[in-house]
Amino acid sequence: MQRLDTGYEQLPTRTARSCSSTVVRLALRAGLYALVIGPIAVLALYAGSSGWFFPEVLPASWSFDPIARQLASPRTREALATSLGVAGAVTLLALLIGLPAARTLGLRRFRGRSLALLLLLLPNLVPLIATGMGLNILFLHLGLAGNALGVILVHLVSALPYAILALLGVFARYDEGYEQQALTLGANPLRVFWHVMLPLAGPGIVVAALFAFLVSWSQYVLTLLIGGGRVITLPMLLFAAVSGGNPATIAALALIFAVPPLVALALTAHALVEGTAPVGQHV
Amino acid sequence: MLWSRELRLSDNTFEASVTAIDLQQLYKTYPRRPAPALAGLSLTVEPHTLLALLGPSGSGKSTILKLIAGIERVDSGDIRLDGRSVLSVPTHRRGAVLMFQKAYLFPFLSVAENIAFGLRAQGVGRSTIQAEVARMLALVGLPGIEQRRPGQLSGGEQQRVALARALVTRPRVLLLDEPLSSLDLAVRQTLQSAVLQIQRELGITTILVTHDRAEALAMADRVALIDHGSLVAHDAPRRLYERPPTRRAARQMGVETFLYGEVRGNLLQSKLGPLGVHERPQSGAWATYAIRPEHVRLMPHPAPNTVAARVDARIYRGSWTEVALDAKGVKLQAHAPLPCVAAVGDHVYAQLPAEHLFPIEDDDLQERTA
Repeated sequence: MQRLDTGYEQLPTRTARSCSSTVVRLALRAGLYALVIGPIAVLALYAGSSGWFFPEVLPASWSFDPIARQLASPRTREALATSLGVAGAVTLLALLIGLPAARTLGLRRFRGRSLALLLLLLPNLVPLIATGMGLNILFLHLGLAGNALGVILVHLVSALPYAILALLGVFARYDEGYEQQALTLGANPLRVFWHVMLPLAGPGIVVAALFAFLVSWSQYVLTLLIGGGRVITLPMLLFAAVSGGNPATIAALALIFAVPPLVALALTAHALVEGTAPVGQHV
Repeated sequence: MLWSRELRLSDNTFEASVTAIDLQQLYKTYPRRPAPALAGLSLTVEPHTLLALLGPSGSGKSTILKLIAGIERVDSGDIRLDGRSVLSVPTHRRGAVLMFQKAYLFPFLSVAENIAFGLRAQGVGRSTIQAEVARMLALVGLPGIEQRRPGQLSGGEQQRVALARALVTRPRVLLLDEPLSSLDLAVRQTLQSAVLQIQRELGITTILVTHDRAEALAMADRVALIDHGSLVAHDAPRRLYERPPTRRAARQMGVETFLYGEVRGNLLQSKLGPLGVHERPQSGAWATYAIRPEHVRLMPHPAPNTVAARVDARIYRGSWTEVALDAKGVKLQAHAPLPCVAAVGDHVYAQLPAEHLFPIEDDDLQERTA
């Protein structure tokens, strides 16, 4: 084939350029993974060894004693159960309140809509500790301080805005025509809720639930403030262990703390991706 | 007849749903809209027939369907199916299935599950459902696509599946809200005849909302012209097309030529001089006459019932040429058959045959210019 002198030959060739961009891409990807996996790997190394000292690259001896010890401890078990219970309740309540709120805010145009949205998001727009102080006084009067119900409610104040924001994303591009179609086909409102709205809003609901769970799960300050040291969740044990200074204990507790959110994330990864696709468009 | 026999289910048959629709003095205003969507509309649809609601967008056509289906509430008035008011019946028990411009197939269900949706809601058994789904898919001309996903179907196929899903519930009333308007012309025409054939065979009372005059004329037993939330005219397609009763009805039917004058004997005395007419106005001597554009003939020389006119504009339409004429300030519209030799600016003679000039009721007096 005859070559035409077009001047294009002076430019780096296609393969050379795509080669360098591949290297950059791989490096970026590796860096991202290291950033996410690194801290957890370090925890695993500490928690999975009987001792890890300088200058060993990896621990000399492996053992799952620290984790086993923590899992056997009644204090840890109780805190785990409390954390799961509180986060579960917060998730449920956030969905029960967030679903109708987000639906109304997303689908209806009414006077005071922006104000309502602002008020719902306000708890997270001002520093949480400020909100918490005010709630502490209020909850003391209401007898909600120092018990699990109070802790659940104060977590909800912080979790609800995230849940509503996630659900608002669904309902802002939600087509009510599907529900009207289902009604005229003879489905009663309850059936429409279960068989039309939930599947259509499903990914968004999963994302909202995940947010609510994570916000409650990692909450420390508000739990301490409202729980008054009588409601012990995992973060409180973790903070106590950190001041104790035993790396194996800290790492074991931190791992136990990190696993449930990671499992939740893994289970909902599909929905997280789908939750960002337009409703009714996925094939 | 063939289909209705095949469609018979265990104990219930299509023949049982002989439903007349009776709309009485419907009023509906939407919040934050000044003009009412419906302003006292009354209309009756005979059982087994297809009524087309024809009107410009925003005229209130779709609102009528939403009120019948129960998706919107009436402000006042009554809706009766077979003589019984359904205002207090919730949407899911009215037996009025709506089909929208968008097919609204549930994206998370297969084609079969979509069609089964209404039957599941009725609690119909699994084996019956399976048989019904297959039968319906055959009826709409898409046999064997049960396991496909809505996203894998073309626009026309989606509307066919939506039609199957609507029909399988054996609705008392089928409400079609421009379900074909987003499809391209060829698919639309195929589906028009398919819908029509199925409607005829099943005998479901149907209301079709459309802004396409040709679609309304081709499909409907009766056509109702709607404008600004009220009924303009209501008649069989051919009568409405050939003899629209009022100026507004005539305009919606594509008539643009109106002459106002005094009738003496068989002569209409208007600005354009005397013209012979066959029909006399219902009352009085002064009346507005109209003529369809395809009945106006262009000629190079004077003849009986002709007026001198100048060609203002012409649009080539393929099987005819649309010619806009000006005769002493009066606008005339003519559809000239294919070889139209007159050019813009030419002086021609327009023949308005006496048998095609018909009197109309002038419901839009501001428009009475000629």
